[in-house]
Amino acid sequence: MNLSVELAPHNERGLLLANPVMTAAGTVGYGTEYAKIVDIERLGAIVSKGTTLSPRPGNPQPRLAETASGLLNSVGLQNIGIDALIREKAPIWATWRVPVVVNIAGESIEEYAELARRLEGVAGVSGIEVNISCPNVAWGGMDFGKSPEMAAEVTAAVKSQTSLPVIVKLTPNVTDIAQIALAVCQAGADALSLINTVVGMAIDITKRKPFLGGITGGLSGPAIKPIALYMVYQVSQAVKIPIIGCGGVSSAEDALEFIMAGATAVQIGTANLVNPNAAFEVLEGMERFMEREAVEDIAQLVGVANTP
Amino acid sequence: MVRTSEGYDPLLRRPLSIHRVAPLSSPSQLALLFAVVGRGTKWLAQRKRGDIIDLLGALGNGFEIRSRDLLLVAGGIGIAPLVALAERGLAEGSQVTLLLGAPTRTQLYPSHLLPAEVKSFFSTEDGSAGRKGLVTDLLADFAAEAGQIFACGPISMYNVMASQGLQILRGNSVQVSMEVRMGCGFGACYGCALETKRGLRLVCKDGPIFELGEILWEGEKGGDEYGGYKENRPSDEGKLRSHRHHPSSEAGGC
Repeated sequence: MNLSVELAPHNERGLLLANPVMTAAGTVGYGTEYAKIVDIERLGAIVSKGTTLSPRPGNPQPRLAETASGLLNSVGLQNIGIDALIREKAPIWATWRVPVVVNIAGESIEEYAELARRLEGVAGVSGIEVNISCPNVAWGGMDFGKSPEMAAEVTAAVKSQTSLPVIVKLTPNVTDIAQIALAVCQAGADALSLINTVVGMAIDITKRKPFLGGITGGLSGPAIKPIALYMVYQVSQAVKIPIIGCGGVSSAEDALEFIMAGATAVQIGTANLVNPNAAFEVLEGMERFMEREAVEDIAQLVGVANTP
Repeated sequence: MVRTSEGYDPLLRRPLSIHRVAPLSSPSQLALLFAVVGRGTKWLAQRKRGDIIDLLGALGNGFEIRSRDLLLVAGGIGIAPLVALAERGLAEGSQVTLLLGAPTRTQLYPSHLLPAEVKSFFSTEDGSAGRKGLVTDLLADFAAEAGQIFACGPISMYNVMASQGLQILRGNSVQVSMEVRMGCGFGACYGCALETKRGLRLVCKDGPIFELGEILWEGEKGGDEYGGYKENRPSDEGKLRSHRHHPSSEAGGC
C-alpha cells in the first residue's frame, strides 16, 4: 500500500511526504512540545506556527471561545520571530526525519520576500507555507489573500527568493476562492492549502461586549468542515497543483472526504488540541480503509468524487 | 485536561486541577473536584461509577513547598488543588492553615473532608458561615505568621491580593494558580498566554502556578517588544482584571 504523496512535483527539491497527514499551522506550535507526547516521525509533515520577521506578542485575552463543535481563536500570531526560529527550532527539526514546513506571515510583500530569503538554505526546513489568510491581525494577513492580484504578488515575491517548495494557504473569507487559487497557481505556487479559519465572533452577554480580546476570531474545528470540503472541491477543478485540505479534519473519514474532493494531503488542526493522537488515528483509519477497499495507492482516491 | 464529550461537542478539554492523590507515597488514584458551570462540566458530572474518563496529564507545574508554615487561601472551587497541597505539606511536617471563602455556606468545601490537622477558617459573602465577607478579608490576620502563601481562586481574588495585600504579605512568596481559557494544555496553541514581568508565559505549560508578584496586573502592563500586547488591543477589554464571574471559571480549580 502506498500512502506517500508528492506536494511539489514541479519543484526541483520536491516535497515528498511518507503519508498525506500533516499538522496545521498554529496547532502544534513548533512541533517540539508535541514531539514530547507523540511520535511525530510517523506524520507526513509538520507545519510550524505562523512566523513573522519580528517576534509578536499576539492578542490580549481571552483568545479562545468554544462554539458548537468549533473553536474561535484570536491568538494573533504570537511567535518568536524568524531569527529565533532559525536559531532555536530549525536545528532540532534538522534531526527529525519528518519534513517541517515553516508558515510565514508578513506585513508587506517585501516582508514575505525577506522571510523566504532568510529561510533559504536553513537545514531542517523543507518548505514554506505562505500565510495570506490569518484573520487575527490588524495589518496584512488575510488582506493579501482577499485579492487575486495581491495574492499573486506575494506568491511571486516569495518564489523569487527561495528554492524551497512554496505552499500558499488560502482564506475562505472571499467571494470566489477558485479565482484566488488560480492567480496564486499562475504566480508559481507549488501547492495550495485551504482553508484557514472562517471569521466569526462571540459576545459576552454579561459584559455586553465582544467576548474575544481581539473582537473577532477565526472559527475552526468540525463546525467548518463542510465549508472547507466544498472549497477544496471547487479549487481542485480550477487548478492542477496539489491541494492540502484543511478545516475540521478529525477522523479518517473526514480526511478521505477531503482526498476524494481533490486534496492530495490533509492538515489536522483543532483536533490536535483536543486529542494529540488525532493525526495518528486519521492515518491508521486511512490505512484500514485502503486495505478494506483494496486501494493500493492513495493517489487513486484523489479527486474521485470530482469526476463524473 | 479532561475530555467532556464522546465526540467533538463540547470540543475542548477542560483544565481541572488534581484535587487529591492516594496513596501519597506512590499515587495510583486521583480525585478531581469541579463545579458544574457549563456544558462540559455538566457532562462530566453525569458520568457514573465504572465509566472511563479521557485525561491528558498531569500537565504544567505545581505548587512548591519551601517552608514549614503554609497558609492556603481558597476562593470557592479554588479549594480543588489546595487539599492535595495540604496533605503533602502535612506529610512533610509543615503546619497548614487554610482560609476558605465562598459566596454562601452550601458552596463551602465540607470541613470534615479536610485533613484533621489543617487549621481552617471560613468566610462567606452572605455571612451564612464564618466571617461575612471575602476570603481576602481574613488574610491580614494570618499572613504575618506564614512562611509561604498559596492561593487558588478567581482572578478578582488575586487582584485584591496584588493591590492591597502586598504590604500585608510583606514580600512573602505567594504562589497562585492561574486560570485562563486553555485550548490544548501542552503549549501548542498559545491560547492561554499570560503577561508576566518576564514576558509572555503560557499558563498551561509554564504555569498554572506563578508567583503573584511576577504577574502583570491591571495598570502594570507595558507595551515593550515582547512583554505586552501592542496590536488589536481594544481600549478597555481583554485585560486580566477584577471580575467576580470570570468567564472561564468552568474549571474546577484553576
